[in-house]
Order: sequence, then C-alpha cells, then structure tokens
Amino acid sequence: MIRNLVKACLFLLLPLSAQAQDLDSLMNMSAFTEESDLQKTLNQNLTVSSAKALTTRETPGIISLVTSEQIQNSGARDLIDVLRLVPGFDVAQDLSFIVGLGLRGSWANEGKVLVMMDGQPFNDLLYQGVALGNHFPVDFIERIEIIRGPGSAIYGGSAEYGVINIITKAADKQNGVHVFGSAGFHKNATGRTNVGVSIAQKSEDFDWDVALFSGDAIVSDGSFTELYGDTSNVDLGKHSYAKPLNLNIGLRVKNFKIRGMYDEFETNEPFTEVSFKNLFLDARYDFKINPKFTLTPQFKYMNQVPWQYRSTVDPEDVFEVRAQRYQASLIANYDVTRKINVNSGMIYFQDKATDRLATGYFQEKDNISFDNYAVFAEALFKHRLANATVGLRYEQNSAYGDAFVPRLALTKKIENFHFKILYSQAFRAPSIENINLRLEGEDIKPEKSQVFELELGYQFTPEMLLAINAFSQRTKNVIVYATSDIDPEGSYSNFPKTGSEGLELIYSVRQKNWYAHLTYSYSRAGTNSVDSYTVPGIDNQFVGLANHKLSLNTNFNLSSNLTFNPTFIYGGKRYAYTTLEGLDKNEDGEVDLDENGEEIWLPAISKLDPYLLVNAFLNYRNVVKGLTIGVGVYDLLNESPVIPQAYNGDYAPIPGRSREYILKVSYQLDFKK
Amino acid sequence: MNRIAKLSLLILFVVSFNKVSAQTTNYQVHSLFVINIAKYSTWPSHSGEFTVTVFGKSKIYDELVKNSAGKSINNMPIKVKQVEDLSQIETPQIVYLAEGKSSSLDDVLKATAGKSIMIIAEREGLFKKGAGFSFVIMDNNTLRYDINNSELEKRQIKISKNLSALANEVL
Repeated sequence: MIRNLVKACLFLLLPLSAQAQDLDSLMNMSAFTEESDLQKTLNQNLTVSSAKALTTRETPGIISLVTSEQIQNSGARDLIDVLRLVPGFDVAQDLSFIVGLGLRGSWANEGKVLVMMDGQPFNDLLYQGVALGNHFPVDFIERIEIIRGPGSAIYGGSAEYGVINIITKAADKQNGVHVFGSAGFHKNATGRTNVGVSIAQKSEDFDWDVALFSGDAIVSDGSFTELYGDTSNVDLGKHSYAKPLNLNIGLRVKNFKIRGMYDEFETNEPFTEVSFKNLFLDARYDFKINPKFTLTPQFKYMNQVPWQYRSTVDPEDVFEVRAQRYQASLIANYDVTRKINVNSGMIYFQDKATDRLATGYFQEKDNISFDNYAVFAEALFKHRLANATVGLRYEQNSAYGDAFVPRLALTKKIENFHFKILYSQAFRAPSIENINLRLEGEDIKPEKSQVFELELGYQFTPEMLLAINAFSQRTKNVIVYATSDIDPEGSYSNFPKTGSEGLELIYSVRQKNWYAHLTYSYSRAGTNSVDSYTVPGIDNQFVGLANHKLSLNTNFNLSSNLTFNPTFIYGGKRYAYTTLEGLDKNEDGEVDLDENGEEIWLPAISKLDPYLLVNAFLNYRNVVKGLTIGVGVYDLLNESPVIPQAYNGDYAPIPGRSREYILKVSYQLDFKK
Repeated sequence: MNRIAKLSLLILFVVSFNKVSAQTTNYQVHSLFVINIAKYSTWPSHSGEFTVTVFGKSKIYDELVKNSAGKSINNMPIKVKQVEDLSQIETPQIVYLAEGKSSSLDDVLKATAGKSIMIIAEREGLFKKGAGFSFVIMDNNTLRYDINNSELEKRQIKISKNLSALANEVL
C-alpha cells in the first residue's frame, strides 16, 4: 500500500520535475517523446546491415527483428516455425529430407542465405547450404536479425538473397543459468525432445558463457512413398530422426573475444543417413586506437564434415569429405565525424577439402584447395534529409576468378514516416563442390544478382506501424546442379537467369496487454531459364514455393504471468513433383533407357492446395521465480502441409507433420550483479 | 510491377493524409534547453520583458509558453511570441528559428545584424552558418547544442562556462 502511494506521488511529481530541470540533467533527456513498447523494438540499433548501428527503420536493408519474447510466447518448436512468421520466407526440401530455405519466391538454399549463430556461419563449405528442421536451439535465442534482401557487399558470397543473424542469450545479455526442456507429441509418435543448459557471467572487463543443446526428433510422423516406388508407406514416426547437438563457448577479456562452437546434426530418409559436423574457432581483438578509430584483426577456423552420408541399402554408396577454412581479416572502423562513418577491411581465406575415403573424389585427387582474397569498404553519411550508404566488395578467388558488388542505399525516418531506397548487387561464390563438380570443360562463374528495393513505413500511433516494401531481384549465371542426356551423372553449371519480384507488408500493433504482427508476402517468378525450377505451363511461380503467404502472430497477456499466443499462417498454392507421369520417349516414340538398360520414368508436376496452420501456445511465467511452463498445439487443424522439393530432383515431398502438442519448461536463475 | 507500383502509391497516399502523433520530437525538452540557455547567458542591456520570439510554426511555442509561465530571466518576466513574417521579429533577446524557417537564416542574420539578439536554430549545423546556437540530436537520442561563440561575441552576448562546457561543439 505504502509502495503504491510512493509510486503515485512520484508519478504526480514527474511533470513538475521535468520543468525544474537544470542544465546538467537536461543532457540525459531524450529529444523524442517517450517510446512505446513497439518503438522500443523498432528503435533497437542493429548492425546486421551496416557497420554503424542504425535503428530498424533507418538501417540500409529490409529488416525483420525477432525477439526472444516473441519466440517464447509463440512456443516455436524450431527455426522453421520462427521463419514462417517472417515475410518472404518459406521452406522446401533439398535432398534426403534436408530442409532448406526459400526466400521471396526463389529457392535460396545453397549460398543464397547466410545463416549465422553468434557470428559463426552455418552454411556448409561444400555446398553453402544450411540444414533446418530440429537443428537450431530456438529456446536459447535472444534475437534474430534478418535481412530479407542481399547482403553480399558486407558478408560476401553466401549472402546473395538474405542474411539470418542469430544471437543467443548466453552470448548476449544472460548473466546466470538457463535450463530448458521441450517436447512435442503427435498422435502416434513423439515429435521431439530437446534439452539445453547455458551458463553465462558478465562483468565490465570479463565475460564467459557456455551453452549445450541436444535433441532428438523425427523428420515427420507421416507416411512416405518414394517417387519411383522403391519404397512405400514408410512410417517416418518410427523410421526417421533429426538429432542436433551444439556446444557453444565464449570468452571476453576486455577487447579480446574468442568463441568456439561444435555443432552436429544427424538425420535420415529411408535409404540414407546424413550428418553435418562443424567446428568453429573465432578470435578477435578490437584495438581502440582512439575513440573514433577501431582496428580489428580476426582469425577464424572452420573444420567440417558436412553431408556425410551412408546408404542403408548400398554399402558402397558413402560420402565423407572434410572441409576446412582458415580465415584472417583486418577491419578498420572510423567515425570521420559524428555524421560520417567509414568501415573497410581485407579478408583472406583458404578453403580446403579432403576425401576421407581416399577415392580420388576431387578430379582423381583426394584434396582440393582454393585461396580467396576480399576487400570491402562502406561509408555511411547521415544527413537531415537522408542517410546515404555506399558500399562495395571485391573478391578474387584462385578457382573461379573475381566478383565485384556495389550497393547504394538511402534511408530516413522523418517523424512518423520512413523510407528506404536500396540498390544492391550481390553474388554467390561457387562453393567447393560447385567447382569440383562443374560441367567438364567449362568454368564455373560466380552467380550475380541485381536487386532494387523500396520500403515505405508509417507509424499511425506509437503502438502501430505499417511498412510495405517492393523488390525486384534479377539473377544471372545461376549455379545449378543438373543432369542431361550428355551428362547423365549431373554437374554444376551456370544457367543464364532467374529472379523474382514482389511485395511484403508488415502491420504491427502493440498495446499494453496484447500485440499482433500481420504480414503478407507476394512474389512472382521473373524471367527464368533454369528448367528444374520451372512449373510447366505456369510462368509466374517456381517449383515447391508459394507465391502468397499471410501470417498473423498475436499475443494476449491474460494476467501478469500468463500469455496466450495464437498464430495463423496461410500458404498459397504450390506446385511440386509428386508422382510419375509416364515413360520418357524419344522423338520416334521409343522408350528411352538409362545406362543400366532400364526404362526412364518422368516425374509429373502436381498442384498442392493452400494450407492454413493454426497454432496456439499458453505460457505461464514465474510459476516459482524464474520457472516458465508453456503448453500448446501446432497445426491445430491437422493440415500437415508437405515439404516438397524446390526443383525437379527426383525426391517426393516430405510428408507434413500432423498436429503436435508441445510442452516447454525453462528455468532462469540470474546471478547477482 | 504495375500492381506493385499502384499499391506503393496507395500506401504513400494513405500515410500522407494521416497525421497522427507517434514518437516525435519532444519540444518540451527543446523549450527547457532554450530557457536554460537564456538563464546562463548575459545580454548587454536589460529592462522590461525578456522576449523569446519563435520565427515560424513550431510546437516549441506552446511548450515555451507553458514552461516560462511565471518565470523570469535576470529579473525580467519571460514573454514568448510567435511570428511568421521577418518584419515582425522586432528586437527580442532570443529568436528561435523553427525547422521550417531554416532557409531564412541569412535574412534573420541580416535583419538582426548589430543587435544583441541570440539566434537559436532548431536545425542541426546552422551554428556554422551564423546562428548562435543550433540543436543536435546525439546517437543515443539525447538533445545537445552547438555554439558559435564568435557570432555571440559579435552581438555582445556572453555565455557562461557551464554552457560552453556542455556543448557538443563550440566555434
């Protein structure tokens, strides 16, 4: 009672105290009116798309920021659940039940979207892809900074279409112990059991953090029938797995930072077991030459065994290659004035791959290696009319030659309105396997994209924002793996062009007791010459990916501890190769035979109906201090949308997961400061 | 792209005609700065009222009226005026140059040349073009000011060391 009275008195005195300010105390007062909860999120300074921190509405990129609060409230099971709520993102199958990303209507798995966790790039060195599914520890995530557009001028050849930068709690603000466990249950199978523990301590000059995540899940609980009928009605609830393991350790002593991470992901499909093993070491030191100038030398080492596979039916069909990267960089950041920042640097890395089975996999050799040199520079000019960003990157590689990408951006928030006008070139650097498996007698060139983006946003009230952006991305020299009559084994080569254009819309409302984020994405396939992406007879959509997506993420604070978070995701119609059409025949009407003398069947395209995912999650915080318990259901309507292959690649879609009941428990114990 | 362009234009149209306040410039803080700058400055002659004239439309006018009510500078009661026309400026102690009138700085300088009138500009950087003070918003969103001391000296206005010490930049 007394505490409430004191609070009330303080509240009444607040306006008076503002008027009685002396000069010293004015120095800490904001030039802007008080931030609403929504503005606190929008005004967070991000560095994902610029060297100098800028708010989400001014940073030179089309940005989504996902917070730990949103993840926890929604009860997201894995990164796929998180990304389904972000405009433009979709998922599709690559090979062997490995799920990859689609972005803005295009297949964006290999080298097109850079995925980092605590600064470590998860794109594998052989193909530059990232396996999703039950892989990333969503319950450890503090925030995800996403560029829904090109990032090559900053990040190089793995960020042609987008960047996902995951920052974990332990590596960021956590100062204490965090333990969690999550489980998912389908009608006839256990969907997942994941556990994690992290401990972190922060002080002015010394931080350390350790996090361990482990899990066991199934790929799906559906029934799988292989496209060519080699197996049918396999119960994946019993015969599939997706097992992650991640150990993440960081240390900071003043300006010296070091991080080590080991990540493992094992999964399977009826005929193949696949695993990814990654070791990261990263050390950097920020030399603060003066308050305006920082010089950062950095060393990175990656040791991976990605896409290690073993056929369960053919003991000879195995693949085991170690890929390594040794990287050194020097980055200079200089605040020329308060309004001008220049960031530049040079990077050298060597990629090396070794066939651990010694089969002469790399053009009759067991080893292959490349050297890569890069220089980049970016300048930010802040002006009252607009912030201008000018950036460029040049890379020289001993195997594929060079790539040069500039970018230009104009952004500004003017009171309630903001705009972003962005032009970027971006590239996908040919990976080790792109080079090794290139079409015989032909060079492989970097894939290049040219992207225009325009975003307009308006804050109608402190609690409400509407932002809409249009994009056009044109890609040439598209690196694609394909087979043909003259190359039945298949190889990587450059196809002339592909691309997409479209719109994305975000409408966010945040009130004291509830919030809602409505997003809509539309994309349309551009001129395309990659046959395996094409839907026969449909020229505005690519295989496996929807043109329309609508998502609504809502949260209601039922009490100070209890939240209810329904989410709705509508995906438009898709097209996929799901059945066989008939026998391949030559011009004379004779049935074609393969090299083993067997008939060749052709897969047929099918339309997949739109789907609506309805999920609901109830979270109770501080059951006892620090303990949070959440229960919920994913895919309440049991629509089970399949995950089709994003190209004509002989794989039937992964059956969709059925309704899954989720239980999450976490405990947070904070250290005393 | 036609549909996309049309939708973009529609959004632009909608936002153009919806002027609702969200997180905007806090003119209460601006006005407190103006009053404190006056408090820590000295003019050669003083009698009657201490007049602050806001040149151009700005929400700071209402805030100044509110925050100066019943207050005085050097024992002179504060009077706040708002004018739209240069000829109406007369001889106040302070001219506050609103953002929308920033391009009139040269005219204001000419009209007040040789007089002990302090010009405080809302737009950043105008202290380099002759204003005595101009505001600046720092990276952490706090408000500060830059000072053109030689211009103030020309106008025989003295400022305290405290004021200079807390400035972002002094010419």
